[in-house]
Amino acid sequence: MPTVPLLRRAATWRAGALALWAAVMLHSAFDGRLHLLLRAMYHPLVPLTGVLLAALALLQLRQATTAAEQRRPGTKRQGLATAATALVALLVLAIPPAPSFADLAGQRPPDESADDGLSFVLPPLERSLTDWVRLLASQPDPHLFAGDPVRISGFVLPVEGQSPQIARLRVRCCLADASPVGLPVRWPRGPVPAADRWLAIEGTMAVEPDPAASGRERLVVVPQRIRPIPRPRRPLEP
Amino acid sequence: MGPARLATIWALFQGLLLEALPFLLIGVLISAAARWLAPGGRWLQRLPRHPLLGPLTGAALGFALPACECGNVPVARQLMVGGAPMGTALGFLFAAPVLNPIVLAGTWAAFPDQPWLLVARPLGAVAVAVGLALLLPLLPEGELLQADLLAERRLVQPLKEVSLLERRGGLVGGGLQEAQALARAGSGASPLRPPLGEAVQHAAREFLELALLLVMGCLIAASVQSLVPRAWLLAVGGAPTLSILALMLLAMVVSVCSSVDAFLALGFAAQVTPGALLAFLLLGPVIDLKLVGLLGLLFRPRGLILTTAGACLFVLLIGQWINLWRL
Repeated sequence: MPTVPLLRRAATWRAGALALWAAVMLHSAFDGRLHLLLRAMYHPLVPLTGVLLAALALLQLRQATTAAEQRRPGTKRQGLATAATALVALLVLAIPPAPSFADLAGQRPPDESADDGLSFVLPPLERSLTDWVRLLASQPDPHLFAGDPVRISGFVLPVEGQSPQIARLRVRCCLADASPVGLPVRWPRGPVPAADRWLAIEGTMAVEPDPAASGRERLVVVPQRIRPIPRPRRPLEP
Repeated sequence: MGPARLATIWALFQGLLLEALPFLLIGVLISAAARWLAPGGRWLQRLPRHPLLGPLTGAALGFALPACECGNVPVARQLMVGGAPMGTALGFLFAAPVLNPIVLAGTWAAFPDQPWLLVARPLGAVAVAVGLALLLPLLPEGELLQADLLAERRLVQPLKEVSLLERRGGLVGGGLQEAQALARAGSGASPLRPPLGEAVQHAAREFLELALLLVMGCLIAASVQSLVPRAWLLAVGGAPTLSILALMLLAMVVSVCSSVDAFLALGFAAQVTPGALLAFLLLGPVIDLKLVGLLGLLFRPRGLILTTAGACLFVLLIGQWINLWRL
C-alpha cells in the first residue's frame, strides 16, 4: 500500500483538532473571558486542560509518523468531524462572549439566599451590592438600615411594572446558573438609565412603601452621585 | 430574537462548554488508563452479574472515580466494551455522578443545615440507578446499545454467551485487531498490553468524538434556557407534584455538572418543596440536554428514550415520597 502524505493521514487530522481545542482552552484562560463565564475557583481547570490537550496533540502527531499510520488515510467522516471541530474552535476564538446581563437576569428569579451574618461586621460604605442584598435577606427589617451611607456598583436591570434596579449576577459555577441580586433605586428626575449600563452609585438608604406588596415597606437607594463606569473586569459575584 | 439574546446564548454556551470540557478530558484519560493498565478487562468480566449486586457494585465504583456525568460516559463505555455485566456498567453510569467524593462534599457544603439531603441524595441516586439497571436490560443488547459499541463488547464476551455469528466479521472478515482479540478470547490467553501509542490514539479519538457531541448538547441547553424564563419553572414552587415536575424540567434544561448543581439548587431551595429539590439533584446527573448527545454514543434512540422515561418516573416517585415525609 502506498504511503499517504502526512497532511492526509487520519492521525494528523486528529492532532490538528486536538491542537485547536488546546488553543481554545489556553486562549480562553488568558484573554479574560473566564471572568465572564465561570466562578474563579474553576478557572485553573481550563489552562490545565489546554496543556493536557496540547500534550495529547503532540503525542498524536508523533503517532502520525509511525509506519502503521503512514498507510492510514483519513476517511470522509473523520474529515467532516475535524472540519466541524475547527469551525467551532475558530468561532469560539473569534467571537468572545458578550452576554447581556440584563437579558440574562430578566429570565431568572432573584437569588434569595441569606448570608451567615458576616456582612454585619462590614461598615456600610464597604458593603458591596451583593453584601447589601444578603444582609437584607437575613435581616429583613428595612428600618435597621435607613440613613446608612451606600457606595455600590452594578448594572441597570429593568423590572416589569417598576423602575429599574441596580443589580449584580451571582454565579456558583458558570453563567448557566447565574441569578440576579438587585436593589431598588429612587432615580433622579430625567431619563432612566438604559438596561445593561454599568453605574457606580453613592447615596443613602431610605425606607419607602413596597409597590409590589401593599402595607409592606422596602429599602431603596437614594443616590446623591451616579457615575457611569465600564463593565468591571470581574463582573460576577460569588 | 434580538442581538442581546443571541449574545447571551453564545456566552451561556461558552460557559457550559468550558466548564464541562475539563471533566470530559478527565473521564477520557481515566478510560484510557483503564484500557492500558487492564487490557482485555478480565477483571471487568468477573464483576457480579446479580441483578441487584451488579448495579450496586457499579454504583460503588463511583467512589474510586471522581468524575461528574460528562466524564462518566467514556468510563462507562470502557466498562461496557471491556465486557462488564450490563447491570454493573449501568449502575456505574447512572449512580457514579452522584456517588463520588467531590459531589457529596459539594452537596454537604451547599446544604450543611439539611442533613436529610446528604443521606437522601446518594440513596436516591442508587435507587434510580438500580431501577434503570433493571429496566434497560429488558431491551436486548442489540436494540439497546449502539452498533460499534456492541461489536467491541461482543469481542471480549465469552463464547458461551455470544455465538461466533454474532461477532462482527469473525476471524475472516474482521481487521487484525479484532481477529487477535477473538483468538485470545477463544484460547483464554491473557491479553497483551497495547502499545502506549495505541492508547493515545484511542484517547484522542474518543475525546474528539465526545467533545463534538458535548458542543451540540451545550448549544441546545444554552438556547433552551435562554428562551424559557426560569421564573415560569419556579412559579409552581409550593405545589407538591407540580413543583417536582417543574424542577425535573429545570434540571434537564440547565445541564450543569453534578459536581456543582447543589450550589445552583441553593439559590432556589427556599422557594420549592423538599421533594422537588431532591428531584432536581437526582435527575440532572442521570439525564439532561447536554448529556443527550454523549449518551447517544452508548445507546440507540430506543435505549435513550427508555432511560429518560425511566429516570423521570423513578425521580418523580422518590420526590413524591419525600414530599409526603417532609411537607
